[in-house]
Amino acid sequence: MGCEKIEELLSPYIEDELTQEQKHSVEDHLRTCSNCAELLTLMRAAKESLASFPEVDVSGELTEKLYALPQKRKKLRFIPDILLRPSFQPIMAAATVLLTLVSFYAFHPERSAINRAIERQFHAGVSKVEKLYAEAGSFTHTLGQYKDNLLVSITNLNPFRGNEDKQPKT
Amino acid sequence: MLVNAYSRKVFNLAYQFAGSYEEAEDLTQDIFFKLHNSIEKYDFEKNFTAWLLTLARNHLIDQYRKTKWEKKSRDEFNEHFLSADSRSGPEESAMVQESKKIVWDAFNHLSSEIRMAIILRDIQGKKYEEIAEIMELPLGTVKSRVNRGRLQLAKILKEKKGNKNGM
Repeated sequence: MGCEKIEELLSPYIEDELTQEQKHSVEDHLRTCSNCAELLTLMRAAKESLASFPEVDVSGELTEKLYALPQKRKKLRFIPDILLRPSFQPIMAAATVLLTLVSFYAFHPERSAINRAIERQFHAGVSKVEKLYAEAGSFTHTLGQYKDNLLVSITNLNPFRGNEDKQPKT
Repeated sequence: MLVNAYSRKVFNLAYQFAGSYEEAEDLTQDIFFKLHNSIEKYDFEKNFTAWLLTLARNHLIDQYRKTKWEKKSRDEFNEHFLSADSRSGPEESAMVQESKKIVWDAFNHLSSEIRMAIILRDIQGKKYEEIAEIMELPLGTVKSRVNRGRLQLAKILKEKKGNKNGM
């Protein structure tokens, strides 16, 4: 067997997992190959060294954090913290009123009557706005007339016409 | 109860894999958070420790692939782990420490999957059947990974030894 094949058998050789035949082949090879023999020594040393790494204790701080984890999860599962803040309460109250009104409308037995009433109110509102707009238009027009009259009156005032009167007559 | 019974196992696996104490603490918290979120999926007929370690192993390898922990943080492992062996004298202890350091440096050169197999087999001393269950791999694949890992480790150590003698 060549070195490559023997190298593959070194780890099972350490673990005593080879057949008698394979074991003899490895041992025969190791007697004549210093390279593979060195690899076996290093493999054993590394295995021994790794096995001697001790277990490390968990710090008290980490244990506390781990115990706090399920509580964190419960909080996340139900209500986010922001919704429980006092400053959020007026918004929650407004949202509740809105939801009540919407549900009142959505589940009312005479919803069509409510629709008609809303429509009437809406049209009444629109016509009122139109009327106000028209009144505002006529008011603007009146204001314009006042402005023109005022300008004419100011230009006809004596202080502005004084120089014209003093001009010599030809 | 879960914390008392399993935090040490999970933390040590994370620490041996990541090589950084702080990183291992964060990873342990992540793993326990995942555990709380997926405990409903646990099949009561299965071995709970193996199931939890599978969850831990998947998280550790995923995180490693995503972030590729820096070598710098992995070196910190030496400070905590390579402490003097109280059972031996100072001279012997220094030799053991040096040898551990060389092995740990070589160990860091292995791929994440092979490192995990070596941790479970050679550091934690688990049976191949347990490792196969944790890594969700056939028994033959696990043995092959362990064998390959040990051989790679020996070759890296041989190379390091050669470089040291050559200098």
